[in-house]
Amino acid sequence: MDEKTRTRVGGPEDPREGLEAVVALRRTLEALEAAQVENAFVAGWSWARIAEVLGVSKQAVHKKHAERIRDRYPGEPPRRKGKGA
Amino acid sequence: MIFNRFARETRRCVVAAVEEARMLGHDSIGDEDLLLGILRADEGVAAEALSSLGVTLEGAQEESEGMLSEALSSVGVSLEEVRREAGDAFEVSIPDERRIPFSPRAKKVLERALREAVRVRDNHLGTDNVLLGILRNEDGTAVRMLARLGVSPEMLEERLYELRGRAAS
Repeated sequence: MDEKTRTRVGGPEDPREGLEAVVALRRTLEALEAAQVENAFVAGWSWARIAEVLGVSKQAVHKKHAERIRDRYPGEPPRRKGKGA
Repeated sequence: MIFNRFARETRRCVVAAVEEARMLGHDSIGDEDLLLGILRADEGVAAEALSSLGVTLEGAQEESEGMLSEALSSVGVSLEEVRREAGDAFEVSIPDERRIPFSPRAKKVLERALREAVRVRDNHLGTDNVLLGILRNEDGTAVRMLARLGVSPEMLEERLYELRGRAAS
């Protein structure tokens, strides 16, 4: 398994490329999480439900995303009925 | 740290570098962001040297995105597909409330720039010193970004000294 991972990810012949891929993935992951949480919020999902699917606490999701998303959707967001907090 | 030694153009460049890093979703300010900062602040001989070699802010930003996209495809991820999948909400920028620190590389660039400024007895650390600091870091992202734009550290350094000589005379 170790050998397989090695040949597939980055490759030991250029460690920098492999490490930079990690950085690129991290950046993309952050952006993707922000986008999908926003999408879920706009679709009317509660923080609790979003958190459950992400597998983290409601507080964690709220802390990380609420301020940004509320700034983007002042007032009542579309299709959102205020269920959950 | 050493910000009080910075010339005004350098302060502007650093502020612009932070903005660029934020926009590009960099969770630390890298040496490539300092380069983008020089281009964005567009002041002094460093910016002049870069633009005289055809390096523009837009061109450099494009390369930055190109490098991200290539790094992702090296592990089988398509930035385009991620973008399409996530829709309009997808943007890499980092929210204003989150602080972004300088990366070790960027710190090293600024320290080198300061040393360079002291060596040639510049009263202030200018963006030309910052650019030289960036170029001395051959392994840095900025140098590779410049290479993709067809500019080598040697070319740029030469142009910088030319322009500096002209500015001094």
